[in-house]
Amino acid sequence: MAIDLKRCIGCYGCQLSCKAEHGTPPGVFFARVAKRELGTYPNTRLVFLPLLCFHCGDAPCVDVCPTGASHYREGGVVDITRDDCVGCRACMQACPYEARYYNEAQGEYFPGQGLTPYERTKYKDQNVDVVMKCNFCIDRVQAGLEPACVANCAARARVFGDLDDPHSEVSHLIRLRGGEQLHPELGTRPSVYYLPPA
Amino acid sequence: MRTAAYERLLADLGSTFRPQRQWVEGRGIFLILGHFLSGVGAGAWLFSLWLGYAPGLVLAVGTVAASGLAHLFFLGRPERFWKMFRARTSWIARGFLGMNLFLGSAVLALLLPAGALRTLCVAVSVAGAAVIIGYKGNVYAASRGVPFWNSPVLPILYATYAIRGGLALLLVVLPLTGGPAVPHRLDLLELWVAVSAAVMLGFYLGVMRNTNLAARRSVAELTGGRVALAFYLGTVGVGLLVPIVVGVAGFAGPLSETALALVGALSLVGDFFAKYAIAKAGIYLPLVPAGRI
Repeated sequence: MAIDLKRCIGCYGCQLSCKAEHGTPPGVFFARVAKRELGTYPNTRLVFLPLLCFHCGDAPCVDVCPTGASHYREGGVVDITRDDCVGCRACMQACPYEARYYNEAQGEYFPGQGLTPYERTKYKDQNVDVVMKCNFCIDRVQAGLEPACVANCAARARVFGDLDDPHSEVSHLIRLRGGEQLHPELGTRPSVYYLPPA
Repeated sequence: MRTAAYERLLADLGSTFRPQRQWVEGRGIFLILGHFLSGVGAGAWLFSLWLGYAPGLVLAVGTVAASGLAHLFFLGRPERFWKMFRARTSWIARGFLGMNLFLGSAVLALLLPAGALRTLCVAVSVAGAAVIIGYKGNVYAASRGVPFWNSPVLPILYATYAIRGGLALLLVVLPLTGGPAVPHRLDLLELWVAVSAAVMLGFYLGVMRNTNLAARRSVAELTGGRVALAFYLGTVGVGLLVPIVVGVAGFAGPLSETALALVGALSLVGDFFAKYAIAKAGIYLPLVPAGRI
């Protein structure tokens, strides 16, 4: 995946669409947008950094998992087998990108009003007391669709494709715009590239 | 109204230096307890073997078993614990295997009469104890998201503390059972290990202060931030200074058994707080440059 920081307007559309797609409980964010205001008045600027699991080629979370719950899937997607996770949270400490969340409780989005029918439906497919993370919407991708955060990006800032194919749009953009990985010095080989704003 | 935990998570996610809470707060305290007890138990087993001190052997097995329970209390899904055997890359799995190896062989060593089979069980238990002593620091060191822990120095520091904890436990229980404390000069050994732990801790903090921004921030949290009280009072004061001062006083004349037991007890408290403070000071690698939220 490539995320164009020149196009991103920090609208949280990716975060919201991800929540809608996966029905993650409060406190679990497969996709989120980090915002910072840099500089001092009047010379300030707002920085957005959309974050998600980077599906690293050399994922530290997979290495530390004692049960094999965290694993690589076909195509390089890093996923969790929820029935194998013991909730040791070692993967959360190993991930340098804060992409993993511990599902402590299937909380209500409207406290005191009980679970909505939508929450009840989505929570059926989730375990509590295990770690959760983005899986690049693997079910959507296998059905020929784009991940929810890509399909719903209003600014078309996200491009999803095959990084192994040098002729794919995503590979072309990364080459053309000088795509950069976050913390490449860690040697984790993330599959998400940021296209610099300038 | 949103819960306090949710509000705190949002604040943490918005901060430049996000503190790790999973391995120290809430049920995370059981993990610290588990790491503390397992090190103390494995260390006590080795020293009890050396001294030929049977009550110490039993106590060591009990302590390691208690650490196993503490680990289970920490897990989100303890009923799946038996799946933790993927030791090819995971230090948690290695620790799990080491702990099982130790408990099985140590119990057999306690029950069997002297002979080849018992010798074999003792040898296996020593290997298991070595894995227990070594794995904890490596679990932390493998955490690449927390630069403060991601250091090869940490496993050495934790191993030093485990050995010291084993000694300290024996210093506490030896007077109660009339064990062979004085002939083996355990007090001198305790002083030596305490000084080693202090040097290792100083070296570790010195290295981490010059590593990167997040590690430097963690050191600042330890020495002057939200973990400073636990660090100065528990780890340094109670855990290192007092035992070292009392140990040095032992050169002037032999220490009473009560004084040695006190040194042992304080060392154990310091051992726990060392693990607590180091875990609490952990901060995730910053993803976004510092600025206002």
